[in-house]
Amino acid sequence: MFTRHVWRQLAAHIDGELSPQKAGQVERHEAQCAECRAEREQIGFGMEMLDHLPPVEPPDAIWTSIESALQEHRRPKRSAAWRLESRPFESNPWRWAFAATFVLAVAGAAYWTLARHAGTRWDVVRIDGAPVVNQKAIRGEGRIGAGEWIETDSGSRATVKVGEIGSVEVEPNTRLRVVTARPGEHRLALARGEIRAKISAPPRLFFVDTASGTAVDLGCEYTLDADKDGSGLLRVTKGWVSFQWKGTGWKDLESLVPAGASCRLHPSVGPGIPYFDDAPESLKQALDAFSFERAGFGFDKAAYGALDVVLAEARVRDTLTLWHLLSRVQNEDRARVYDRIASLTPVPQGVSREQALKLDPETLRRWKDELAWTW
Amino acid sequence: MLRLCIAVCVFAAFALGQEFKFTIGSPVASQDFQMKSAAFVFRTEGCAEPAKSQIGATAEGLVKGARRSVALKVTAVASKPGVYAVFQAWPAEGDWVVSLKGACAGANAGAVIPIGAKGFVRESSKFFPRPATDSEIDAALKALAQGENK
Repeated sequence: MFTRHVWRQLAAHIDGELSPQKAGQVERHEAQCAECRAEREQIGFGMEMLDHLPPVEPPDAIWTSIESALQEHRRPKRSAAWRLESRPFESNPWRWAFAATFVLAVAGAAYWTLARHAGTRWDVVRIDGAPVVNQKAIRGEGRIGAGEWIETDSGSRATVKVGEIGSVEVEPNTRLRVVTARPGEHRLALARGEIRAKISAPPRLFFVDTASGTAVDLGCEYTLDADKDGSGLLRVTKGWVSFQWKGTGWKDLESLVPAGASCRLHPSVGPGIPYFDDAPESLKQALDAFSFERAGFGFDKAAYGALDVVLAEARVRDTLTLWHLLSRVQNEDRARVYDRIASLTPVPQGVSREQALKLDPETLRRWKDELAWTW
Repeated sequence: MLRLCIAVCVFAAFALGQEFKFTIGSPVASQDFQMKSAAFVFRTEGCAEPAKSQIGATAEGLVKGARRSVALKVTAVASKPGVYAVFQAWPAEGDWVVSLKGACAGANAGAVIPIGAKGFVRESSKFFPRPATDSEIDAALKALAQGENK
């Protein structure tokens, strides 16, 4: 049983070079050691960055100099005069200068490539307690870059300035990683806890990955809360957010969550069905009966009763919920959902019942654009 | 018979012609991220050339018993002709409504939108085929101050 850290074995483990017994020991230790897990992530990040380095062909001259040096090493000792003539580097210091310049150029190119891929570093301001950035507690201000973690305990909070587009408040008991810090992509990964994002930027520049999917900022302020297993809640206070999930075995899911609405998240089924926070409690409770047990499709009898409640309790504004339900219920229920929406607000021109029940994308988009005026 | 024909013609004229009016919504209806902080957005309906319509808005308020009026800038949503946004330019103190007025090809429209603690109050908004009168604005402010529309 390992009682010491396994940092030295991590790189070999990532490359699959350890024996099965050693690999199992490393994995069991990692499961109990946060430091080694963090170190693994750093190593993995570094190895990933190396994969991005462009191959550079050295000039022929460097091989010539290497061969000359090897030949000189094998040749027996000669006179001082002869030695001076046959050691080109000592007689011609410009070769040394060239070799040194070449090495520096390669190192500079590697550093520039790494820096370009890693992006810039963002400011971190401590609000309470002692938040930890990259395994180091910060007292006032710090900086965080791509691949690095920020973690808060029950008594600490911090604000991360997200480039030039906004900020994220990191609440207590939160673990958050900066995935990408580039002008064209600002991406975080929320492992657990709660963050409050305030973003002022064109859409699709700010992303937060969770185990339940990705929150895509469309110009907004929101709170995202996630448990260790990825369950959580997205609540939007300004603007709107698209929460997207690439399902395995199911079609991809996307939930549009406008200001004043929330959406539950679950790691195995992605985003739930959005609802307005002022919706009737009975409607919200009925929504909870959907999807999380049946992956959002094929409702059982208990869920069938819940659909009745949602349809009965829905107000005009709750067409937000009903519109999302259209693509998450089976055919016979879909017609009921369509009819309920049509009873609450006029169906716009260009939206036919037949096409809507077939989930025609253009039809659904046109209907959503019109329904949004009631949300 | 003549009266019946006239009545039918008038009815047909009304039925075929769409009334010029406003529809209000939350910023998500604009689908433009630049409008996300707007107090609300609105669109004109029944206007054949929205780009030529004349739209204006004022914030009408009651602050410590005194009546106040603030001219507002109406921001057009570039990607959606006929859609506009109103941003808060009135003080947080007091009770406020937004009065919209518009004109298109000789037709007029108006609306009074109460602003509550959580934003615009859709259910209490009133729409008119002309600009709202002072008495209609005062009535909306009075209802807001009495907590009816918050």
